[in-house]
Amino acid sequence: MNAPNRFELFVLEDGEKPIEIIEDTKIPNAATIKIVKQDHTLGNMLRAQLLSMPQILFAGYKVPHPLEPYFVIKIQTDGTITPQAILEQACNKLISTLASLESKFNREFSFKDIESGNTGATAGAGNDPYGTGAANAGGAWSQGRDYLDF
Amino acid sequence: MQSHDELEPTVRIREVKRDRVNFVLENVDLAFANSFRRVMMADIPTVAIDMVEIEINTTVLPDEFIAHRLGMIPLVSSNCEEAIRYTRDCTCLAGCPFCSVRLNLNVSCHDSHTLDITSEHLELIPPNDRGQWDGEQEENTDGDELTKRPANFGQPVGKNEPGAPPVLICKIRKGQELKVKCYAKKGIAKEHAKWSPCSAVAFEYDPYNKLRHTTYWFETDKRAEWPVGDNGKEEEPPREDEAFDYMAKPNKFYVEVETDGSLGPQEVVMRGLAELQAKLANLILGLKPQPEVDHAEQHANGVSHEGGWANPAGGAGAGAGWGGGGGGGGASTWGGNEASSSPTGWQSTSPSGGASSYGGATVASGGWGSPAAQASGWSL
Repeated sequence: MNAPNRFELFVLEDGEKPIEIIEDTKIPNAATIKIVKQDHTLGNMLRAQLLSMPQILFAGYKVPHPLEPYFVIKIQTDGTITPQAILEQACNKLISTLASLESKFNREFSFKDIESGNTGATAGAGNDPYGTGAANAGGAWSQGRDYLDF
Repeated sequence: MQSHDELEPTVRIREVKRDRVNFVLENVDLAFANSFRRVMMADIPTVAIDMVEIEINTTVLPDEFIAHRLGMIPLVSSNCEEAIRYTRDCTCLAGCPFCSVRLNLNVSCHDSHTLDITSEHLELIPPNDRGQWDGEQEENTDGDELTKRPANFGQPVGKNEPGAPPVLICKIRKGQELKVKCYAKKGIAKEHAKWSPCSAVAFEYDPYNKLRHTTYWFETDKRAEWPVGDNGKEEEPPREDEAFDYMAKPNKFYVEVETDGSLGPQEVVMRGLAELQAKLANLILGLKPQPEVDHAEQHANGVSHEGGWANPAGGAGAGAGWGGGGGGGGASTWGGNEASSSPTGWQSTSPSGGASSYGGATVASGGWGSPAAQASGWSL
């Protein structure tokens, strides 16, 4: 039984660096960044975001081997910004997109809560069949964000 | 993709039920929507039975068969982020009330009828007042996880609920018995699919196949054999003579998330978004060189101080990293005029911290995080 532990797919080992930057010696303003313990979920999203940015000349990612839990992303910029910096910008942009989506989901869910609350007690209870925890968690979200959206 | 930049993403929930949510996501990238789908399916932690101690098994099924079936039973996992730890992060050896949930199953048949052992028979064993399980070795751990658990945390989904048929584990006849101790642990579906909170995620875009991302196989009539689904009502059907727009990008996504009950649909969606943000945040953190915590603060002061600081070692070897984040203002703890003073006021946790010293203006001043700074050996 020499199969590796499956949590090694997503947990960094002791002292393992999450990111390794290999600067390209032959192409100007280019770098290959190896991101460990991540997969297509992050790689493809980053690639797409990078390609939408005007400073980017090239962005591509690959998972070199399906059994090795890392991907590499290759970035070339037009020289106004380093590949590392633009990658960070891309991350920040994605985070803000996700945050705005989060508040929109919260608002939509709170509307749906109100709707089902009006239609009857059974429907209201049906929305939270899994006990107080889900209700608490849901409550915290709606309290934390909702009024800001309006 | 560029076109999405100006448009804010929008979401419209079409339907919420106790176990599912159906929504339309607009003005996002295909890659973004797909990552969201992937993260909901594979990266949200739940609890599931992971370790089974079989004490008596005189049923017709072998031990591993039953253990596997127990693992697949969905357990209520609301607020999993705070209510339970991963066993690998816990101080205990193999499992304690802070990183696992204990369930017992003890059924024997004394009638001449077949008895169904179901998830209804699984009995949650709560920890005692000291946060320990009775009759087990006490682990020296403390935490507030237990207080954050909802009352039914770890209970099989739908237990004691009318109208929710339980999960069948085994059938036994007279004289047979099953007695097991189960330990449910926190995990994610990348490790084993039993930890996925989703039983299905439907994901569709471009119902008329205008983008030609797929080709339909057909016998005689493509239209008749591939009827357009309900999502087709949301979009304009293409005209017969419409030319193929090869630059078009999908931007409307129809998603239905169906959960197995371990988490509610709202929690799955919100946790999914949070999980994606956490992944990105970790990446940003990883991009900043190592002692990011100390330096991000220090660095906020006086980026443009004259003098700067020279890095005699040069190259990446010095390793003293500086967080890129700007900010600024506030009193600087290190000024340019005390050129020869010892490096007080800021500490480097990097292994070669000693190599850094205040020096004259030998290095390009200012411009942290710019390509110039990088050339002088600060890995940014």
